[in-house]
Amino acid sequence: MDQQNTNSNNNQPRAGFAPPVREIMEYSCADCGATNEIKSREPIRCRECGHRIMYKKRTKRMVQFEAR
Amino acid sequence: MEPADEGSEWNDITGANWHGLSLTDPIKSVQDKWLLLPAFLKVKGLVKQHIDSFNYFVETDIKNIVKANNKVTSDVDPRFWLKYTNIVVGMPDRNEPNAIEKKVTPNECRLRDITYSAPIMVTIHYTRGKNIVQRTVNIGRLPIMLRSSRCVLTNKTDPELARMTECPLDPGGYFVVKGTEKVILVQEQLSKNRIIVELDTVKGIVQASCTSSTHGGLKSKTYVITKKGKIYLRHNCTHEDIPIVIALKALGIQSDKEILLLTAGNTDSYKAAFSANLEEAAKLGVFTRQQALEYIGSRVKVNRRVVGPRRPAWEEALEAMATIVLAHVPVNGLDFRPKAIFVATMTRRVLMAMEDEKMVDDRDYVGNKRLELAGQLLALLFEDLFKTYNTNLKSAIDKVLKKDSRTNEFDAFNTMQLQGDHLTAGFTRAISTGNWSLKRFKMERAGVTHVLSRLSFISALGMMTRISSQFEKTRKVSGPRALQPSQWGMLCPSDTPEGEACGLVKNLALMTHITTDVEEEPIIRLAFMLGVEDISLATGTEIYGPHTFVVNVNGTIIGLTRYPARFVHQFRCLRRARRVSEFVSVYVNHHHKAVHIASDGGRICRPMIIVEGGRPRVRAEHIELLKKGSVTFDDFLRKGLVEYLDVNEENDTYIALYESEIVPSTTTHLEIEPFTLLGAVAGLIPYPHHNQSPRNTYQCAMGKQAIGAIAYNQLNRIDTLLYLSVYPQQPMVKTRTIELIGYDRLPAGQNATVAVMSYSGYDIEDALILNKASLDRGYGRCQVLRKNTSMIRKYPNGTYDRLADAPPDENNSGQVAKKYDIIQMDGLAGVGERVDPGDVYVNKQSPTNAADNSFSGQAATVPYRNTPMTYKSPVAGNIDKILISDTENDQTLIKVLIRQTRRPELGDKFSSRHGQKGVCGLIVNQEDMPFNDQGINPDTIMNPHGFPSRMTVGKMIELLAGKAGVLSGNLQYGTAFGGSKVEDMSRILVEHGFSYAGKDMLTSGITGEPLEAYVYFGPIYYQKLKHMVMDKMHARARGPRATLTRQPTEGRSREGGLRLGEMERDCLIGYGATQLLLERLMISSDKFEVNACGKCGLMGYNGWCTYCKSSKQMAQLTIPYAAKLLFQELMAMNVVPRLILDDA
Repeated sequence: MDQQNTNSNNNQPRAGFAPPVREIMEYSCADCGATNEIKSREPIRCRECGHRIMYKKRTKRMVQFEAR
Repeated sequence: MEPADEGSEWNDITGANWHGLSLTDPIKSVQDKWLLLPAFLKVKGLVKQHIDSFNYFVETDIKNIVKANNKVTSDVDPRFWLKYTNIVVGMPDRNEPNAIEKKVTPNECRLRDITYSAPIMVTIHYTRGKNIVQRTVNIGRLPIMLRSSRCVLTNKTDPELARMTECPLDPGGYFVVKGTEKVILVQEQLSKNRIIVELDTVKGIVQASCTSSTHGGLKSKTYVITKKGKIYLRHNCTHEDIPIVIALKALGIQSDKEILLLTAGNTDSYKAAFSANLEEAAKLGVFTRQQALEYIGSRVKVNRRVVGPRRPAWEEALEAMATIVLAHVPVNGLDFRPKAIFVATMTRRVLMAMEDEKMVDDRDYVGNKRLELAGQLLALLFEDLFKTYNTNLKSAIDKVLKKDSRTNEFDAFNTMQLQGDHLTAGFTRAISTGNWSLKRFKMERAGVTHVLSRLSFISALGMMTRISSQFEKTRKVSGPRALQPSQWGMLCPSDTPEGEACGLVKNLALMTHITTDVEEEPIIRLAFMLGVEDISLATGTEIYGPHTFVVNVNGTIIGLTRYPARFVHQFRCLRRARRVSEFVSVYVNHHHKAVHIASDGGRICRPMIIVEGGRPRVRAEHIELLKKGSVTFDDFLRKGLVEYLDVNEENDTYIALYESEIVPSTTTHLEIEPFTLLGAVAGLIPYPHHNQSPRNTYQCAMGKQAIGAIAYNQLNRIDTLLYLSVYPQQPMVKTRTIELIGYDRLPAGQNATVAVMSYSGYDIEDALILNKASLDRGYGRCQVLRKNTSMIRKYPNGTYDRLADAPPDENNSGQVAKKYDIIQMDGLAGVGERVDPGDVYVNKQSPTNAADNSFSGQAATVPYRNTPMTYKSPVAGNIDKILISDTENDQTLIKVLIRQTRRPELGDKFSSRHGQKGVCGLIVNQEDMPFNDQGINPDTIMNPHGFPSRMTVGKMIELLAGKAGVLSGNLQYGTAFGGSKVEDMSRILVEHGFSYAGKDMLTSGITGEPLEAYVYFGPIYYQKLKHMVMDKMHARARGPRATLTRQPTEGRSREGGLRLGEMERDCLIGYGATQLLLERLMISSDKFEVNACGKCGLMGYNGWCTYCKSSKQMAQLTIPYAAKLLFQELMAMNVVPRLILDDA
């Protein structure tokens, strides 16, 4: 719960107000691993190698697992 | 016979050591001849038949098809022509004009939902104005079979494959079409162009039939049948059956004497049986060929399309006899002799079967079957598509040429470019739907392709070796389902499904290979060179003479020989010397006095060691060289040490199972290894020769459901549903097959320590007891990865879908609702985050007017509605991966992989490798488990009642061998017809201080007292099967209802109700529990209050009858909503149902 609360607090200013401080979403190329950005309505293509597959990068938030 | 000495190491040993070793020979047997098997699998392999067949299509067949249809002309301009001179299938590439890297890997196609295909390029010569031009054009794209000669994966090393995120153990042999893996299963058919004689005992009919199939031509079936003691020729192209004598006369055998000689020969009984036919022809007044043709001509079905003068009947007959009846027998000019002899042979076979019932053929005999593979099916498809393409091209060219004046010169190249993707679309449609409907070849087949099952590595492999039967689906005949003795070594005797498809779906054995077509002409020439006399020069006296044998090539008679043994021997020598393809088979059929040479595709064959002079030609030295890696399987073939035998030729040989069983003067061949008679899936079972046979069959079905490793690239794949084992182990008791197919590297199971004893009452009926501590340590733990796809579409009216970040909650300003918690700025969930039931992980929004094509405003201003993807499973998962890519038509594709980790729970299904399945009945704390004097607990307790009736002795030996292996630190072998011996295993156990019988003294964990009996205790390889309670558990009190009937919905996925079915209803009626019936069938289901009028019996509302316009006799009653619906539907059909009310 703690972790969730801190997170939603962090997100709040961005989500709530009119000009949101855009955190740039990063994606990595499936072929060369280069970090890319994706702009809407543009073909998805790695700017380093031209590969067409992107994976979304792992979240920065802490993830807790139940070890059972 | 002796191979020529070339001085090499190889030749030294083949040449020398021949003589002088006879005393020591029986002792010095070839030790590791099974090593030939991995060598064979390296060059041929389990799925090699698919790949060979595809390669043959791409390299040879496709060229033949184009050659046969190579010219396009115009009806408008006679000077115009276009010729295909060559066709080449390229390597798979990206179908994007501005791509940097053209090469494409199969895994990229899987991930991006595109097709792994290569361009088909044709070289054309055509007239442009007054010149003749040569160009190369792309006419379409062909899906490429993985690991075929056109695939990027072939001849790649493991690191190179890893670079392409491809598994080196993956067999290939399938296609990737629109991102799904599709297999064209092997299809079993009756052989073409061969005579098959059958007997109908009920009707007393003998018939000889022959299905003719010429290359790319139509198929037709010709019969020679008996009817009331007389013989007739039957074919689809005639209205009625033609007396055989008339047919033969029409085929140019005019004299009765010759007809009698060619059919009955000089055998008196045959002559007597045949004479009635000669009389019939005379009675019908047919004496000459002309009369016979007239007779047939008036009975031929004429399908005339061309307008013109009507042809005389005899011409129609001549054409039908030349081209339609027995189309595969060549008619050169108007030389009907070969065809006449073929018909005469069929007649003779009928005569023979009429006299002796044993002379009929067996359609279930594997030698009479042919297997159709991907290459042949694709060839048919290509021919159909290519012909249509050419007609389209022709009409397009005609359309342009029709216009008189043109600004620039007409170039057919441009027309070809505008032809669209007819071929590409045709191929992808056929493979992805599995519908092969080729009107041109009268072919209408559905379900040709299947999605490659990736539940486990074994299920994928098992699918590649599967054979489906084309004929006789639901008939209740046992013949086609029965195990045929001739399928020994060719088809696996264990691997077949239970139930409806039992025995119809088969699997290939480990060493089988399926042939592709080999050219016929050189073989015929060779036969003539070896002294065969041309059939056209012979009459019945010679053909059926006492010592003559007929020589057939692919079912067509070519000539006669008087020395069949010598001929066959010489032919085989030439084949062993590689002068003829190794897949050409030759054998003598003594019943029919015939020598058959077969070179057609689809025959099943397998390699065998040649035995000469009582000794196998493969010797220990050869195996040494093989071990060193300096020779391959092909060298063995080339040197004539090993050869392929098909089922028919196998019948003409004496094969010794073991070297010690060779009889010097008779034995001709030696088996490479007896365990190869099993297939890849049955090969996983340790000690299968100790099990009751149905148990092995059960394991073959269950091995495909086991959760384990799927491929080395399993974490780079995004499949709809993927089950992975967290800690897979290779089995303690392996088999040779396991090593050969790589199951030890991609295992599906764990070595559980099993105590065979009773424990509590929760282990009855095959239930298993699991140790809780083992589960904590990871036993049986698995991951379930599920794919969820979403397309971010662009619509034709300019609007588009969008991804939105989490919306603020309406009533709780500023706060984001809990279900949007994991959504990040891009509208997608964070990777790695936990998804709880009901959470949104793709926050997609779609325009409300997406279907409105008249819309022409600003795309950004349109109103949107939420179309999110919500997590539905009742158990939380984690986002494993989010893939974003573009498909071929530039739509954004989002694939979200969600992972669940599951530990075994009550009700999960487990099985050993011996068809012994069971569910977990109880999970016991470690301290309550029994333990031995070393303090070892079992992981699993199995009830001993599982053994007596099942008779799975193999499982007991597996435990023994596994225990010995554990103690000595080795892996043991349980290979079929071999493997580690029980005696040796017992010795190892004794050496380590254990009982030789594998039993241990255990102490109860509950009472602390020693158990009163010794317990069979040791490791057995256990598989966790994909059936888990979590996916099945379902209960409901109240819930959703169907809109139409207002009854509870059906099925777990819709949170449906549990049905009180007909049989349960019958019980309640029988018992008289009316109130319970009423409750189950109406009150808890679809009760509905209606107002009914006692006067008119119709339904009203609010206490008012609309028919009587009164509320006087209205009554309220409860009926099922379905009944109310029925009444209204009846009224809609002008039937008035009236309710008669009574006091209850």
